[in-house]
Formats: sequence, structure tokens, C-alpha cells
Amino acid sequence: MVMRDYLIKRAVSALVTLGLAIVLNFFLFRIMPGDPTRTVTGDFRITPEVRRALVHQFGLDQPLWVQFVLYLQNLATGNLGVSFQYRGTPVVAIIFGRRLLNTFVLMGSSISVALIIGIIIGTIVAWKRESKFDVSVVVFSLMTYSMPVFWLGMMIILIFGYYLAAIPIAGTITVGLTYSNWFQYAADYLYHMIGPFVTLTLSFVGFYLIIMRDSILDVFTEDYMLTAKAKGLSDRKILFRHAMRNALLPMVSLIAVEVTYLFGGATMTETVFSWYGIGRLIYEAVVMADYPILQGIFFVMSILVIAANFCADVAYAFLDPRIRY
Amino acid sequence: MTVQEFHALEVKEDRFWLYRRKLGDFWRLYRRSRLGVIGLIIVLSFVIVAVAAPWIAPFEPFYFAGDPLMKPSSTFPFGTDQVGRDIFSRVIYGTRVSLLIGLIASAMTIGLGSAIGLVSGYLGGWVDNGLMRITDLFIILPALPLMLIMASILGKGIMNIIIVITVVGWTSTARMVRSQTMSLKERPFIEASRAIGSTDLHTIARHIVPNVFPLVFANGMIAIVDAILSEAGLSFLGFGDPSSPSWGMVLHYADAAGSTVNGYWWYIVPPGICIMLLVMGFAFISYSTDQILNPRLRRR
Repeated sequence: MVMRDYLIKRAVSALVTLGLAIVLNFFLFRIMPGDPTRTVTGDFRITPEVRRALVHQFGLDQPLWVQFVLYLQNLATGNLGVSFQYRGTPVVAIIFGRRLLNTFVLMGSSISVALIIGIIIGTIVAWKRESKFDVSVVVFSLMTYSMPVFWLGMMIILIFGYYLAAIPIAGTITVGLTYSNWFQYAADYLYHMIGPFVTLTLSFVGFYLIIMRDSILDVFTEDYMLTAKAKGLSDRKILFRHAMRNALLPMVSLIAVEVTYLFGGATMTETVFSWYGIGRLIYEAVVMADYPILQGIFFVMSILVIAANFCADVAYAFLDPRIRY
Repeated sequence: MTVQEFHALEVKEDRFWLYRRKLGDFWRLYRRSRLGVIGLIIVLSFVIVAVAAPWIAPFEPFYFAGDPLMKPSSTFPFGTDQVGRDIFSRVIYGTRVSLLIGLIASAMTIGLGSAIGLVSGYLGGWVDNGLMRITDLFIILPALPLMLIMASILGKGIMNIIIVITVVGWTSTARMVRSQTMSLKERPFIEASRAIGSTDLHTIARHIVPNVFPLVFANGMIAIVDAILSEAGLSFLGFGDPSSPSWGMVLHYADAAGSTVNGYWWYIVPPGICIMLLVMGFAFISYSTDQILNPRLRRR
């Protein structure tokens, strides 16, 4: 019962946030100085016929509120406008395809690995608090946190790409190569993913580690830890059965927050490594002033992060009964 | 001098000594933290470099001092860039831009966030509700892509970078100030202040702001870190002002010269190390201040 109320409350809140995101997305691209129609159609790369059709479709000759209603209607039918740089290709076709998949593969793998490493090392480090290992791990985490992600990527290209020639310098696959089978393609893809994957993982693992360490240290002050010790449980059991489990709770909500940051990291990493994904698309669209693409990505990204946060809320409620009451 | 005037003067003086003493206490605790002192030394060194740039740098940042892309030598400690400018001098002058944008942008972030947090927490009701919805939205949206989109709409330039960082980054301060304000609002001394007929503005300025300030200050150090990193990223992607290059901008040119694939390590390593050190400096300061000012951490 209570759980249901909680879920409804979270769902309503997520929908309100989504509504605000849509409103922001509409007005953000209409506050530009000069001609307001410029951002939607006014580009030399669009032919006059297409432009006329678009002006009609988005009601650009109408008052702002009519435009907003039309914008919502188009959004509901999955029409996000057409791209400038790809000469009128629908935005939906550009975003939902290879690029989104590539970004998901890169983001998903690096966030999972960073999380696992962060949780394990963070737990161990908290246990061996103030040892040499602890101090060096904390300093390392601080260093990776303080590095700009793009610079870390550049250093990895310089060291492993240029000096050691161990990883490819750019791209998602080798251009012009034909593959005899699926396996060969996957190998080439993974080979190209090493650089951006290591960059993203390194840039996130430090943060997870510190949070996990802090979280475990917090748990250590709880009374049930003393109970566990008094019961005569082994250190290993106390650490992994009792401390780690409870310390994982804050990490759940952190993952959702991190999805937000991951988009930023992915934008930088994909740009530096020329990874054919959404992050690189953002950069290209910004450079080419391709506003419909930016607006489309902004919308898709909003949905993704809001969904991720909602999922985290739900997961948190299942894991921690205190939230529900 | 009337009695009232004399009394007012006395109160003022008391206040002065109170703040002095508090500051003294803070400094005594701060000095004990090794990380905090290291951070302070790093940041102060960069401030000195920034102020003394014309005397330290061997060349003007825009002076074509040698051949393009020369390796490091005694004349050019970090070599030269693609048009023959001394990279060492450019990094030194870059300190000014990076530091200044970081400080201004974070100050504005803190200012906007505090204002929204104070209004939201003090007034409550539908104002609070509305403002917190907007805060939720900005917390949830990916910062860098949003900054890029806004920057592409506003155009290049330092002022626009500062605006973009401010508009995207105020949320965490706002939330913190709001919750602090809400808990202060319920305390007896605020009620007392209201009971003697103080205006809302007076109550906020005299009683709430001074009590919120320490946490805002600790939070401000992290805001500086975020601002410096955001500026570096935006400049690296080409939104900086070419007439006043920051470290991110130097890296932008390094990328344009193909430094990674040609092995010009001297072009990439120094600006990146500078960003990292400055950020670490502020992170250390933030960590130590937090340990002192945040009562929850003190007992552990």
C-alpha cells in the first residue's frame, strides 16, 4: 500500500520534471538573438520547399503559443524536425541508430566496470583506513577527479596510441576494412573501444571509490557493526556481509546521478576519440550550428536521465524499507 | 554622542571581535590539516604566477618568438606552438584567464544559488515548490551538453562562458541554502527577530545569511573546481576567446595541431598538469574547510 503511494508520488514528480524539460527545450531555442525562425528552419542548407513545409509544420509564422502547441503535437508523433548539416534528414533517424547504440555500449561498459572496481576497492580501502594503500588510492582518485576528461583522453592517445602504438588513435571501426565474419567485426570494434573505455572508466572510478569508502566508514560507526563483532563473526564476513551491503544503498541513487555526468564525460571522450556516438554528434551539431539536432538530443537525453532517476528511486525504495514509511 | 549611538557602536565592536575570534578559531583548526595547507600553497602559487605573469613569462603570449612546433629548449622551456609562439609564456598567461573565469563564474554561481535558496527556504509555499521543481530539473539535466547547447546559442567569448556556467551550475548551492534556511527559520531567535517587528529582508540579511555563510563558503570551493573544469572543457571545444587564451584554449590549439598523433607531448602535458594542480588545490581546501565547518563530519 505505502509502496504504491510512494511510486505514484515519484512518477508524478518525474512527469512534472519531464514537462519542465520540454518547456525549457522549446524556449531555449527561441531566445536566440535575431530571427526566431532561424533555429528551426532558417539555414542555407535547407531548400526553400522544405523550409516552407517546415514553417507550416511548426507554425513558425504563428504566435508563440501556437508554436508551442504544434511543437508538443510534433513531439507526440515523434517528429523532431530535420537536420541542417545532413540536408533535411529527420532528426529522429540520425539520433536513433548506430550512434545511440555506440554511446550505450561505451557508457554502459565503462560505468559498470568503474562501479564494480569502485565498490570493491572502496570497501577494502575503508577497512585498511589510513594505511599506505589507502592514502595512495585516495590520492590517485583525487588526481583522476581533478583531470579534465578530455585531457586524460589526449594523454591516453599520446602514450598508448602514439608512443606504444597499442591502441587505434580514432574511430569506432577501421575505415575501409571488410570483415569476413561477425567475430572479426566485434574484435575490431572492441579494439577501438579500449581508449575511450579506459578514459571514461578512469574518470569515474575515483569518484565511486571515494563515495564507497565514505559510505563504509559511516556504516562502521553504526551499532550493528559492534553487534556483528561481538557475535564473533570473521572480519571478512563483517566487511562483505554487513558493511558493504548497507554501504551500497547510497551508491544506488548515485548511479542515477552519474548517468547525468556520464553524458558530459561521453561528449568529451567521444569527441577526443572520434567515437561515432551521441556525444560526438552533440559536438558536431554545435560546431555546425545544427540546432534541430541539438534540440532533439536534449529531448532524448532528458527522457533518459529522468527515467534513470525514477528507476533509482524505485530501486532504493525496494532496498531500503525506511524510505517507504 | 547619545547613549543609543554609543550602544550601537559597542554592538558593532562586539560583532567585529566575535568575527575576528571565529576567524582565528577557524584558522587554528585549518592549519592542522596537512591537505588544507598544501591546497592553500598550490592555489597561492598560481595566484602569484597570474599576478606576476608579465615578469615571469619570457615572451608576450601573442609574440611570434620562434619557428613553429619547436621542441623544448632553454629558450622555449615548453617548445613553440604551430605559429611559433612560446608555449611556456602562453601557459603562464593562461593562468590569469583560467583562474579569473573560475573565480568569477563560481562567485556568480554561488550568488544565484544562495539567492534562490534563501527565497525558496524562507518564503516556502508555492514559491518554494516552483523553484525546487526548476532546481530538480537543472540537477538532473547533463551539465556539459546543456552548457554546450547554450554556448552554441549565445556564441563564443568569456562572458558567455561565465553566463553558461552560472546558469547550469547554481543548483547544489540553492538546495543546500534552502534546507539550511528552512531549519534556521524554525529557531527561536528568528521568531524573536520577527516578533520585534523586523522586516523579512532584515531577518534574512542579519540572521539567516550569517548562519548560512560557513556552509556556502565550503560549498564555494567545490563550485570553483566545477567552474575551472567546465571552463577548460568549453574552451577546449572552441568556445573561448582567442584574444585571451586560457589553459583549455591552449589545449584546443594543441589538438588542432594534431599534438597527440604527432607526439608533441610538450604542448599537451603542461597545460593539463596546471589544470589538474589548480583543481586539486581547491579540492584540498574544500575538503579541509568541510571537515571544520560541517558538524556531521567533525565527530567522526
